[in-house]
Amino acid sequence: MSKETKKPFRQSMAEWRQFIYNPSSGEFLGRTAKSWGLILLFYLVFYGFLAALFTFTMWVMLQTLSSDIPKYRDRISSPGLMISPKPDTALEFYFNKSDAQSYAEYVSTLRKFLESYDDSKQSQNINCTPGRIFDQNDVAVKKACRFNLSELGQCSGKEDKTFGYSKGTPCVLVKVNRIIGLKPEGEPRIQCTPKEEGTVEINYFPPEGLIDLMYFPYYGKSLHAHYLQPLVAIQLAINSNSTKEEVAIECKILGSPNLKNEDDRDKFLGRIAFKVQMTE
Amino acid sequence: DDHKLSVSELEEKYGTSINKGLSSARAAEILARDGPNSLTPPKATPEIVKFLKQLVGGFSILLWIGAVFSWISFGIQLAQGAESAFDNLYLGVVLALVVILTGIFAYYQEAKSTNIMASFSKMIPQQALVIRDAEKKELPADQLVVGDIVEIKGGDRIPADIRLISTQGCKVDNSSLTGESEPQSRSCDFTHDNPLETRNIAFYSTTCVEGTATGIVINTGDRTIIGRIASLASGVGNEKTPIAIEIEHFVYLVAGVAISVGVLFFIISVSMRYKILDSIIFLIGIIVANVPEGLLATVTVSLSLTAKRMAKKNCLVKNLEAVETLGSTSIICSDKTGTLTQNRMTVAHLWFDNQIYSADTSEDQTTQPFDQSSPSWTALSKIVTLCNRAEFRPGQENLPIMKRVVVGDASETALLKFAEVILGDVMGIRAQNKKVAEIPFNSTNKFQLSIHETDDPNDKRFLLVMKGAPERILERCSTIMINGKEEPLDSEKAEAFQTAYMELGGMGERVLGFCHLYLPENEFPDTYPFDTDSMNFPTSNLCFVGLLSMIDPPRSTVPDAVSKCRSAGIKVIMVTGDHPITAKAIAKSVGIISATSETVEDIAKRLNIPVEQVNRREATAAVVNGMELKDMSLQQLDEILCNHSEIVFARTSPQQKLIIVEGCQRQGAVVAVTGDGVNDSPALKKADIGIAMGIAGSDAAKNAADMVLLDDNFASIVTGVEEGRLIFDNLKKTIAYTLTKNIAELCPFLIYIIASIPMPIGTITILFIDLGTDIIPSVALAYEKAESDIMNRRPRNKRKDRLVNEQLAVYSYLQIGIMQSVGAFVTYFTVYAEQGFLPSTLLGVRVDWENNAINDFEDSYGQEWTKYQRTYLQWTGYTAFFVSITIQQVADLIIRKTRRNSIFQQGLFRNKVIWVGIFSQIGIALILTYGLGHVTALNFTPLRFQYWFVAVPFAILIWVYDEVRKLFIRRYPGSWWDKNMYY
Repeated sequence: MSKETKKPFRQSMAEWRQFIYNPSSGEFLGRTAKSWGLILLFYLVFYGFLAALFTFTMWVMLQTLSSDIPKYRDRISSPGLMISPKPDTALEFYFNKSDAQSYAEYVSTLRKFLESYDDSKQSQNINCTPGRIFDQNDVAVKKACRFNLSELGQCSGKEDKTFGYSKGTPCVLVKVNRIIGLKPEGEPRIQCTPKEEGTVEINYFPPEGLIDLMYFPYYGKSLHAHYLQPLVAIQLAINSNSTKEEVAIECKILGSPNLKNEDDRDKFLGRIAFKVQMTE
Repeated sequence: DDHKLSVSELEEKYGTSINKGLSSARAAEILARDGPNSLTPPKATPEIVKFLKQLVGGFSILLWIGAVFSWISFGIQLAQGAESAFDNLYLGVVLALVVILTGIFAYYQEAKSTNIMASFSKMIPQQALVIRDAEKKELPADQLVVGDIVEIKGGDRIPADIRLISTQGCKVDNSSLTGESEPQSRSCDFTHDNPLETRNIAFYSTTCVEGTATGIVINTGDRTIIGRIASLASGVGNEKTPIAIEIEHFVYLVAGVAISVGVLFFIISVSMRYKILDSIIFLIGIIVANVPEGLLATVTVSLSLTAKRMAKKNCLVKNLEAVETLGSTSIICSDKTGTLTQNRMTVAHLWFDNQIYSADTSEDQTTQPFDQSSPSWTALSKIVTLCNRAEFRPGQENLPIMKRVVVGDASETALLKFAEVILGDVMGIRAQNKKVAEIPFNSTNKFQLSIHETDDPNDKRFLLVMKGAPERILERCSTIMINGKEEPLDSEKAEAFQTAYMELGGMGERVLGFCHLYLPENEFPDTYPFDTDSMNFPTSNLCFVGLLSMIDPPRSTVPDAVSKCRSAGIKVIMVTGDHPITAKAIAKSVGIISATSETVEDIAKRLNIPVEQVNRREATAAVVNGMELKDMSLQQLDEILCNHSEIVFARTSPQQKLIIVEGCQRQGAVVAVTGDGVNDSPALKKADIGIAMGIAGSDAAKNAADMVLLDDNFASIVTGVEEGRLIFDNLKKTIAYTLTKNIAELCPFLIYIIASIPMPIGTITILFIDLGTDIIPSVALAYEKAESDIMNRRPRNKRKDRLVNEQLAVYSYLQIGIMQSVGAFVTYFTVYAEQGFLPSTLLGVRVDWENNAINDFEDSYGQEWTKYQRTYLQWTGYTAFFVSITIQQVADLIIRKTRRNSIFQQGLFRNKVIWVGIFSQIGIALILTYGLGHVTALNFTPLRFQYWFVAVPFAILIWVYDEVRKLFIRRYPGSWWDKNMYY
């Protein structure tokens, strides 16, 4: 019922000043130095304790984890597809076959990507039996299967250092995402189709875009350090009347019943779409 | 011009008759023509405006800003062709929906509580005494029509504009019309040309202060003088209530925090080279996290719950403000009669056989426990029964004795009921002892006498019974009955009588003496003609039988209520027009003057020294007579109010009540005053909270008061005080509960911005906490019973004790809130680590993580994730974070039940609604996670069951920590801990 009367501005300013520093009681922001010290000490101890508790619980939690394989793998039951080189702008290739500068980045990316597939790096890798899952569950030291660059043919970068970009037949590498313990069934292969038929001719390396089962399963970074994932190269020969237009291409993994390639929400699960526009 | 007409001209004009009034049929006709006699209510604020106000008030503005930002960023992103653009559109829509829905809810709640208030005022309808069809009738005032003849008495509100035709000492208070507070006399004479000045018209809505009057209704409803002055009818200002001020203060505080944190992090994120657009989205998140969306709705619900609860406990509150003001009351000035007492004379003590017996004076007595075996009692009971003119109204056989209506004065009623309780069927006994003669009580005789035949057929004697002022009765007696035998009344026995009489009188009781005489059969045969004028029968040398003393006893609930007030730091002052001795006796029996304290007079008596020599400081109690008060200066009054903790004002006039209230307010007290009469209205208005009596109160008192006690019971005031304190405490708890999780919602954003981890919780998920899981629990806190100390602490100091104080904010934000955040982050990191992303991998990944083009994002084990797989994992993280906050909010809810007491003192299961809250909280979380886990827009995913338990240790820690906090507060009151940790 009592109504608060408005204080004059000067008085409220004085009150603020008094609050910020009160010379008579030595209070700064409503507390004395000792009081501030105590409250800060309290929060130091309090947060120190919480930090220790957080660290401890995290440590306990990490102790329950294996360093080899994650506890759950249900969020990635089926692999995604990805291409290399990967343009900065959302999976769209733009280049001019007569301008080396325009595709230099693609070429260097591919070169870098294939470095680890170089024969010299694969000296420890073994030749596995093609067409069969290479199960090494009982072996302590997991071996990696050799992937010969020559299988990529014209896209191996050995004969054509520009991976076909200079000739207007650009190479794109398609890879299957690594997932620990994944064993594809059937005969998985990559098949790419242009959105509009006849705009582009596609060559597969290895032929038919086959992915050999011997590269599966993957045992994880720490156990399977030298693992190389299988690659499929596609070489695009764009029809001359389709240049200057964007060519949309979709690649899918086929031939394996346990590798999904049609998910409504995940546009990269077992498939990938990209665009190429080449000028002369 | 009605004031100039003569009575007969008026009768003709309005087709009425002064003696017979209108006929009902005619009245109904006029009512149909003129409409009801009530003012058209002033134009209320249009409903749409009220609704729009809800849409922009409080936190709504912040949320609107958030929504607009969301739409702006949607526009920009859409132009850029980003896929995630629609998320922002949805977010904006959701925010707008939240504002609109909470607005609708608040509007609905307000409309409902306005209706409650409105119905309260309708529950006290004005009645008018009307002559119609030649009969006096009580009618609701709005049924009056022009030409009705109405009767008015002191205390009534004038029901319409009335031309007076007969008056007796009538005075009216025209202050509501003219502002003049001096009562003006009214008569039937035409004294002035101006109708406003003439004395023979009384105006609608003014009050009759004293006297009586009869008049013809000349104007009704909007045609009355006051109806024509439209501005007066609508001019009720809307002052902000204290609780509204507190809530506004709180909204400013939280909005301040939200905006400063938001802006701070906007600057930080911009300087960390985040895109402006991203920074804006962060800003929205921070605002949403900081604003307790559901809180204001919760507060409204709590307040209206309290209003209902108060109404159930017989306190009609005219505005909710009063509830809270009542909670901070520090002095109650209470009436005695009817408020502290039952307003009903009751036999309290008996004296016979040289011994005092006490009788039961409670409200619902059915037996009397004292020893009734003595033959003296038989004789006494016979006198009590026979020498009594009071009678029960017929047709009440099924009612309890104490509730039956009696025709007769207060003392006789008391005696009749007393006899009926013990003997039963008093009327039957009277019929068997036929009355042959009677002298009623009068003030010169001071006795009442009657002569009866006896019910014993063998005893042909007449029995003369007499009662009256004890000393007069004793004068007429020569013997006294001891154990049924008549013994001579010697000086020793007379001395015993005197002692007993003094003792009963000293208790403030009204004492009556009883004596009888069996008239000898030979002198007074059957046919003896008794003549009461000549008194041809003996009226002296009677046999004294005993004394009965009566008092208006205190209500049985009052002593407990007074002691509650005392421990609650509320001073109870009795203000009564009664005799000081009676006042003091009642004050002592209800504890207003405690058993051990003494007045100055008591000390003087004990030490046997003159009153002047007593050190006044030694006396804690004071009984102040109205006559003394008249001669006192203000300083002397202040001194009394200051130095004595127990005060009784006796023999006071209503005007003095105002002086007492002002005196109390000079001490800085918040004063509650009870009153019933017209003359009390100034005091009721002056008081911080005026309390009118619902049964005994006049219209004027009810209009002036802030609260109406339906049962006139003092204990209801104390209940009101308790409710007022409780609502304040419970709102504090609700706010503390709601604010806590805001930190757990805010921290993820801050850490996300600074450490660039994947987003721990989504904005929509936050809304599901604020408006989903948390709503029912925070309302449940309004049902929390008072902590045992609620009536043991001093009243709230309005200036210092805020609803949301520093301690509350700091403890909720910086302690419990941070603990919750830690618990939720542990769950978050656990979910990611068990799926392959160890904590070390997560730091700094934000940009790549959120890049739609990266679909081979490598985890700690060398596996590669597509964007959608990552997003799904992120939603799992949201769900885990949400679940952890929910689980810890259960602990938060439990600890908020009390602020000082241990939960185990309060009882974990006493407030069942809390458990409804907890189950609803967990239930809603389960539905969201498992039921709606597949609706992508909501960002929930089915969660592994074990993640529900990761935060449980932290929840337990919160509980334990808070118990420790409360233990230290209780153990070390006034310590550094108490000052900093008690909110």
